[in-house]
Amino acid sequence: MSREPLLPALLLWTALALLPFAAPAWLLAQLAQYLAYGLLAMSLAYVWGQGGLLSFCQALFFGAGAYAFALAGLGRLPLLPASPGLGLVLAVLVPTALALLLGLLLVGARVATGPAWAVLTLVLGVIAERLAVASPFLGGSNGLAGLPPLALPLPGRTLELLDPLPTYLALLLVAAAVQLGLARAIAAPSGSLLRAVREDPLRAAHLGIDPTRARLRAFTLAAAVAGLGGGLFAAQFGFVAPPLLGLGLSTEVLVWVAVGGRGSPLAALLGAVLVKTVEGLLGEWLGAGWPLALGLLLLLVVLLFPRGIFGGLLARLAGAPDP
Amino acid sequence: MPTVSLLLLDALGQALGLFLVASGLALTFGLLGVINLAHGELLLLGAYTLLAAERAGLGFWAGLALAPLLVGLLGLALELLVVRRLRERPLDTLLATWAVALVIRQTIVALFGPAAHTVPPPISGSVELLGVPYPAHRLLVMGLALLVGGLLAWLLLATRLGLAIRGTVADRTLAAASGLAVRRLDATAFALGAALAGLAGAATAPLVSVDPQMGLGFLLPAFLAVLVAPSGGAAGTMLGAGLVGGGESLVAAFASPVVAQLAVLALAVVLLRRVAGRRLRRER
Repeated sequence: MSREPLLPALLLWTALALLPFAAPAWLLAQLAQYLAYGLLAMSLAYVWGQGGLLSFCQALFFGAGAYAFALAGLGRLPLLPASPGLGLVLAVLVPTALALLLGLLLVGARVATGPAWAVLTLVLGVIAERLAVASPFLGGSNGLAGLPPLALPLPGRTLELLDPLPTYLALLLVAAAVQLGLARAIAAPSGSLLRAVREDPLRAAHLGIDPTRARLRAFTLAAAVAGLGGGLFAAQFGFVAPPLLGLGLSTEVLVWVAVGGRGSPLAALLGAVLVKTVEGLLGEWLGAGWPLALGLLLLLVVLLFPRGIFGGLLARLAGAPDP
Repeated sequence: MPTVSLLLLDALGQALGLFLVASGLALTFGLLGVINLAHGELLLLGAYTLLAAERAGLGFWAGLALAPLLVGLLGLALELLVVRRLRERPLDTLLATWAVALVIRQTIVALFGPAAHTVPPPISGSVELLGVPYPAHRLLVMGLALLVGGLLAWLLLATRLGLAIRGTVADRTLAAASGLAVRRLDATAFALGAALAGLAGAATAPLVSVDPQMGLGFLLPAFLAVLVAPSGGAAGTMLGAGLVGGGESLVAAFASPVVAQLAVLALAVVLLRRVAGRRLRRER
């Protein structure tokens, strides 16, 4: 999809903004958590759907953001004061720097084509989780607990993001801003260049587009979004652990995005919310059968609905012809 | 001196074991270009076939014979039902086979439980080699790897089927126009690759802890080995397996396993840069 349809997005965000008048607090807390996952899903949809880089380690950047937030919040970083606000900034900066470094190594290595890329990102995810488990600085397999909550300095008082309502509203604001920002990036000329590189890197290079640069930019931007999601996730939970970095979550986000629709960040966000909601309803009942159901769901979606459930719907709304 | 021989034997054993695992991938990925992320889970099925055969009282050798048969048939089904339908969408092949891997893994958890199992080796005891006693079953696996390597090279280089497969890889359209049933060849080669995974799983089962998560631990080094291999044939895969398996084993002797993994990843990235560059130059 070349353009994110604006109207469905605005309708969705308006509806979600009005939700606190009708929904109980537990539902808002739940949705705030799903919106943090949604940020991760949107980041993968951008780098995979637009950039053609099917990353099997997207959770690595989510986890890096969560850990950066935790370390800064607990004051474990040398020379830096203990501050959750600083943590949120670092939750974006650290994954961005990490992605830039990995991207320079991998994207620039002309290995950003299907198989090598998939295998190298898989290996990276596995290694990252093992490093986090082995590192006492990151709390080992127990992770880091007791993080201080985010606080907004308002005139007159500071508002701590502990209660469901302010947390939900903050997440909603961030998710909406990121979604609209990504929609702009997709519609911008640089978005067309990225899709040109995805479709045919050699031809794009002949037209004077640097494929490596376009991919590196997409990879880094996606990492920043995933890191922001991770930081906000850690802020809600007050706790981070190695699974946030690992293959398990990276696989889950693949399912969300494939089910929702890889072509559009909005569809991917809806996919995350949908799959997580179904998991909340059925996960208890299915128990160990849930991962099996998730695998079957992914297989069916790939075979039958390659554009995803919401992706196809949104494309029809935008008036794009079916491929 | 004994430690040096042990180190070298371990590295050689690791490399040959990895070759056994990677040989199936060399067929499906190296030659056909199908990225099968369920390869590790096919291996897992081979190991569990052996486990089930032992529990049923059939013994190790029957299990070793059954594993490639059953897993090969499953591979055939996988090709016909999933892989074939996604030929034009390589990224979706990745995703679909990843989903298949998830399904197989969770089915095994449902059938056998999440716990790890051990399989006793068929021949216990050790053999004196290079001045150190070495477990006999490891030597058996190494021998099996060499045998598979030889057979694979013979199949690809000296038989009509191998010629047909190589022809299809070289130019699919021309092969089809010359009357080769390319789709049947796809299915045959894929099933063969799956059977090799089943064999590898059953053969290595006594050396490792058999648990539902073991597939990935085999998939990643095997893929790295095939990726860095200079060519898709048996000899190239052997070289790739030697670099990745032997390298990891040697580094792990001096540092932690995570560091060994990092070192192998770095090696793979460096080699990939070279391979990619060389391929580009060749195409020009």
